[in-house]
Amino acid sequence: MPANISYNELQDLNQFLQKSSDVFYFQCTTRTVQESKLFPVNPYIALSYYNCWYRYPEIFRKIEEVMTPEELGDRAREVSMSANAIMLGIIQQFYLGGRQFLIDMGMINPTDGIDDIKYVLDFAQRVNRSYHRQSGYTLNSDMNHRAQLLPERTLQVFEADALGCKPGDKLHNAVVKFLATASQYAFLKNAECRLGIHNSGPYKVGDKEMLIRDFVDLSEGDYPWLDGVASGIEYNNVTLPVIMKDTHFHMVDDWGSFEATPSYDHDNMVAVGLYTSDYLSNGYIPVHMDNASELADYLDHMRDQMQTATSELWKRMAGWTRDQMIDAGLLVYYAVPKDLAHIAGVYDPNDWMMVDERVQRLKPFFNDEYGGAAIAELVGYISLSSQQESPYTMSKYSNASSDMWSKIPYSVLADDNFTSHVPPMGPGSTSLPPKTGKYTTTRGRLTLEEANALARGFTPETLQGANRFYDDQWVKYNAGTPAADALYKATQQNSFQLKDKGSTLTAEDVEKLRRW
Amino acid sequence: MSEPNILSDKWGKPAMSEVLEYYHSSIRALVAEKFAASGKTWQEAVNDPALELTREDFQKIEDDFLATGYRFTMSAQVSIVEEPEKYQPIAGVGDSGSQPKDEQGRLIVGTGDNVFQAEDLEGTARFVGTVETVMDMLMNGVPEGTIAIIDDSGGTLTAPILEGFAGVVCMGGTIRSHLGILTREYDIPCLMAAELDGLSDGDRIVVEYSKPATDAYAERDDAARARIVKVS
Repeated sequence: MPANISYNELQDLNQFLQKSSDVFYFQCTTRTVQESKLFPVNPYIALSYYNCWYRYPEIFRKIEEVMTPEELGDRAREVSMSANAIMLGIIQQFYLGGRQFLIDMGMINPTDGIDDIKYVLDFAQRVNRSYHRQSGYTLNSDMNHRAQLLPERTLQVFEADALGCKPGDKLHNAVVKFLATASQYAFLKNAECRLGIHNSGPYKVGDKEMLIRDFVDLSEGDYPWLDGVASGIEYNNVTLPVIMKDTHFHMVDDWGSFEATPSYDHDNMVAVGLYTSDYLSNGYIPVHMDNASELADYLDHMRDQMQTATSELWKRMAGWTRDQMIDAGLLVYYAVPKDLAHIAGVYDPNDWMMVDERVQRLKPFFNDEYGGAAIAELVGYISLSSQQESPYTMSKYSNASSDMWSKIPYSVLADDNFTSHVPPMGPGSTSLPPKTGKYTTTRGRLTLEEANALARGFTPETLQGANRFYDDQWVKYNAGTPAADALYKATQQNSFQLKDKGSTLTAEDVEKLRRW
Repeated sequence: MSEPNILSDKWGKPAMSEVLEYYHSSIRALVAEKFAASGKTWQEAVNDPALELTREDFQKIEDDFLATGYRFTMSAQVSIVEEPEKYQPIAGVGDSGSQPKDEQGRLIVGTGDNVFQAEDLEGTARFVGTVETVMDMLMNGVPEGTIAIIDDSGGTLTAPILEGFAGVVCMGGTIRSHLGILTREYDIPCLMAAELDGLSDGDRIVVEYSKPATDAYAERDDAARARIVKVS
């Protein structure tokens, strides 16, 4: 019996698979090279891909039993948390990486696990389309590397409440130092990878541009290695809308990193804000933004907290075994979609902070050289045997006769030479100490049970009822109606300048009302 | 289907890496052997726990490879510390003995890509390449005027002490590497992708951080690279 998939569905599936192959090649070959003398980075990256292959189908189905991918994307779009453009856009890449390695080693065929592949890629597309609903795209690269995620109502608040600064003043100095320390801490707590840093935008603010800079998973929470060392950090996620003059952000790529023309220069920063948010918050909550001096003082304070955490965490990590370093990095990569489980209220560390036994068995040959070669050939050189195609083929960017991810053969529509699923996931294991601390949220430090229960009973006001479907296209023709005003007022409830102003404010109105 | 597809791959070719090719071809052969002996169809065999490769199977492949005398290159210090017998010794900075000289007759002991334009800086070259060195500087402070010579473009090894460096010279990565990003954020002058010849720990050096920032999209231009000059 042929596979339970139509010709049209398989075409859609292969198209997204091919698109993923192309965009990941672009990112991997043009953006950065990741290495570390502290962490065996490439071995853990490669191993994480297998964990994704074996575990994503089952845990995504568990999440979808509670909430659809569309609603998950909607929830993520309203706040800044680790369910963001980089994390969500990379789900299918890591999963397909595990598949490709297994194909290359002859352990599976391209026709194996096709129901799971269809499910995971469909899930990834749906959550990303919903998250990127404002722009109408699926990935930042679709929009020529731009991440316009937020509706007008949120951006108006960011613009109006931002506090002015200029080079040399107290706030400007504090922001510059904060960004450096937060970036460094983010690399360390994420075992050298950049997944804790996210940028989106740019958004036009008159003749200036606004970039939204997020740092996520900063405090005690999902990563057990932050227990204790990060307890002094009050906010798990922080967002800094940064308004720049004389700067055009010509690229905000699929990994949330940016390039600007001319080069990014802190001296061009004219206004900034600070917010926190998560899966339990009604949008963005301002943090110590009463005035510039208070915000500067708090940024310095939080910077001190992160510096202390950096030193303590570094000492902890420097004492780890290689296996512990591998597990930490592997789990950071594998758990990129973990906040979707938080949103749905079904987060379980046994799902997200465990290494599948089918992955554990592979560890003996993940020495540094093999790990480095495996990643370089898989996503850089595209030189694995299984990636080679007909010699007539010219791939999108490299012109080589090879592609990163093997498409699903259409033969599954004609014969029964396929399998549908990977076997169920087992309990898994890890060499890292178990999670003991609480989960830092905008509702306080919670136990897992408390966090999940609150999430299951919560819908942000801006997504309740019809609000969920009132996008900017609707606002364009309905501004000033009671429904539009209610939606805007829900977003403006914590605003210093726009509280209760409603939905009719124009760009000129906001410019007159703003604090800078 | 009578056999795994991978064994009749029309367009397949060996991987670039000797290690990877050995491992993957060995695994393919082992899968094929187990599959042939099972008498099952591929659909029956692929998810059969009894036919799954085990940790011991993978360990044996690596053991067999190491038995050829091959030793791996390392990337993380912990790897060679835990299993020194598997890895090649770490190579230090070479000394050709024929370094070029600058306009003042001083030895040019290296060049690199400038992350951002700053002022030239004189300082003491200190090699920061191990956990022990970082721990020592973390506990006792980074000596003033240290220009850190780092062979790691990541942002984690030197995380707790990076802010204490007067300058950085990194022997790997690109200006977009994590270390490049961080030094720019901290406003610490930095060269990436540095090539060194005859530089020793404790040397007094001047680094041309005043060179324009390297264009990440441009072809390599040796004349545009910042020089590292040995003063004493």
